Amino acid sequence: MNESNARRSGMNRRAFLASTAAAATAMTVGQKAAFGAEEIKFWDMVWGTGATYTAAAKELVGSYQPSGDNLGVRYQSIPWANWYQTFTSAAASRTTPAVSSGAAFLPFYFIEQGVIAPADDVVAGFDKSGTNDFLPGVLDAMKTDKGYAAMPWSMDLRVIWVRKSLLEKAGVEAPTDWQSFIKVGEALKKIDVVGLGLADGSTTTDGQHSVSALMINNGGGLFATDGTLDCVTDRNIETLDFLNELVRKGIIDPYAASYTSDNVTRDWLSGRVGMGFGQTGLDKNFPADQRSDLTVISPIKSTRGDKGTVYYINPLMMFKTTASQPSSEAFLTWYLDNMKVFWEKGVAIDVPVRKSIAELPNLKQNANLQKSIAEWQPVGKTIGAQAPRPFGALNAVDGGGAGAAFIQQIIEGKTASKQILETLQTALEKVVK
Amino acid sequence: MQATGTLADRQSRRPAEARRRRPDLGRAMTLAGLAMPAIVLMTVVNAYPVVYAGIQALHDGDLLNLGSFVGLANFRDALTDPLFWWSARFTVIFSLCGVFGSWLVGFALALLLKPEFPGKSSFKILLLLPWIVPIVVSSMSWNWLTATPTSLLPVLAQDLGFGRVMFLADPTMAMITVCLFKIRISYPFMMMMMSAALEGIEPNLYEAARVDGANSRQQLRYIVLPMTARSTYIAWILMAMFSVNDFATIYLLTGGGPVDSTTSLIVLAYRSVFQDFRPGYGVAISFLMTGALVTLSIILFRQIRRANIA
Repeated sequence: MNESNARRSGMNRRAFLASTAAAATAMTVGQKAAFGAEEIKFWDMVWGTGATYTAAAKELVGSYQPSGDNLGVRYQSIPWANWYQTFTSAAASRTTPAVSSGAAFLPFYFIEQGVIAPADDVVAGFDKSGTNDFLPGVLDAMKTDKGYAAMPWSMDLRVIWVRKSLLEKAGVEAPTDWQSFIKVGEALKKIDVVGLGLADGSTTTDGQHSVSALMINNGGGLFATDGTLDCVTDRNIETLDFLNELVRKGIIDPYAASYTSDNVTRDWLSGRVGMGFGQTGLDKNFPADQRSDLTVISPIKSTRGDKGTVYYINPLMMFKTTASQPSSEAFLTWYLDNMKVFWEKGVAIDVPVRKSIAELPNLKQNANLQKSIAEWQPVGKTIGAQAPRPFGALNAVDGGGAGAAFIQQIIEGKTASKQILETLQTALEKVVK
Repeated sequence: MQATGTLADRQSRRPAEARRRRPDLGRAMTLAGLAMPAIVLMTVVNAYPVVYAGIQALHDGDLLNLGSFVGLANFRDALTDPLFWWSARFTVIFSLCGVFGSWLVGFALALLLKPEFPGKSSFKILLLLPWIVPIVVSSMSWNWLTATPTSLLPVLAQDLGFGRVMFLADPTMAMITVCLFKIRISYPFMMMMMSAALEGIEPNLYEAARVDGANSRQQLRYIVLPMTARSTYIAWILMAMFSVNDFATIYLLTGGGPVDSTTSLIVLAYRSVFQDFRPGYGVAISFLMTGALVTLSIILFRQIRRANIA
């Protein structure tokens, strides 16, 4: 186009550039409208049975129909590998989703940092509609000074499982307290069966969960009631003395110091392990014809007569990066009201946190789950025990380097209980500030 | 033309010299311009992370926040932490085993494979397998071989009368196992390096030595070792770098345990950053490692120059 033609058509170079810029802007805005604002993102970790859980969750989210002006939701499965980096990188670059499931203590860290929105309005919505049927203490465990850090959706509760056939073979009944636990362990040892199955390689937290459960069982924990670190207490020393006795008597397998979760699962399957802490879905690892051999026993009493265990509440949190906070809240409420399909389909292995789900017919028939809910859940606490409430630094306590070395020292059986706890206290002081 | 002249002569020559220089200046600028994208890219890719890591090392933040400025406190904390020194000690042990263990095995195999024999190529490929197989697969297979009392090696050790050997659960045995695992996956590299070096020795030298009455041991000492010294030093430097920075071998097999016995500096740095969420401390450890590696490299390179062997 020459100059005269351009004039005739009313188009000069400046007008051409302006119209190009306007078109580009319109396209960008249009794209944003088309791809950005019509949906919010939901990140979901790989829970329960893995691939089958993810497929069920994707299908559930796909069926969501937003009401009114609320936005739709796009599902994205997130692997557990490097989960902390995934979330912190997203938070640093402000690319977090609108709603996400995540590790138990992540919401407490994120609410401290102002990255997520409190779930107070969602809780209020359940109260208002009369559908707040969360199990006792579960919602309270999410409370912080800045409001509810997240909504609970399931609970990783650690309970004691036994293999009935192995106990029968050893000629003993299930233990009821620490003393009888030692006796049953000794009887199992005689038939070459491990009495407390653990996996405490440095890349798994299984052993840490079991020892935390026993510390809470004895009324102990890593923290004082004011929230400060307090590992070296009489109750914790008693717990470690109990564990030391299990080590000395061969009830704990010394090989456990390098075990992965797969190693201990194989030992459960092969009948090498007769007792141990596990998630409430441990029996799902077994072939169908062997599942009935696994039984959850009642919580055992410590020497002081206390009962207790550890649990991890799996949260759903709402990030402030959402395109629409009302849409996030609407979706979260709908998801919590419809997630029962995970238990109906058998793809969730943790305890449901709502009574309406716990009373589903198939769960009512699951005696192990019902016992876990009725007897273990009420005596459970987080690894933040005895602190008044969870906090962000627990992310580094649960799964940090200090925890693995702590349990390995116990299994090694060479160091005094108090000294092991002092070492733990020193190591944790570096990560809990 | 005289090399020197009067001031007037020199002044009269300047415009001509300047004219001659101008195309050179233009060429240099063109080349600089062409290289600029690469320079900018290298700066962004390499320098930015290093500078940012340096900033992190001077702060006490987490993965989300930089935190407050603490000066050299992270370096001081590392240097006064017994676990740091234990990790440094294990790093040295692991690296020495990795370098000299794999060199001994690799060199021995290279010498054995020097003569021609049927199936030599296939045999060489088989020997390279530990290097070719992904480390995840190797570490899994070693876990199956060693981790539980019913695994193959503990059962074998028991049958042979060694009692209950805990290859990964006992701290001392775990250190030995990790070092052996390192040698196993590293010797093919050394074998390749030393094979190439051996190929470079003229066969005439061996013949001359034989004529002079040198036996195999003397040939090894006075011909093979001196003639392969340069390659050996280079292989040692490379393997030292690989070993000090080898995270996967240790972490996949033991995770640094039990009771931190196999924690090397790189594993400690990783755990500090990604498990304890103390990036400043972890990065400070990495910088200390870098300093040590640079020093080691300088010493070894000087050694190569002193060796003065073609």
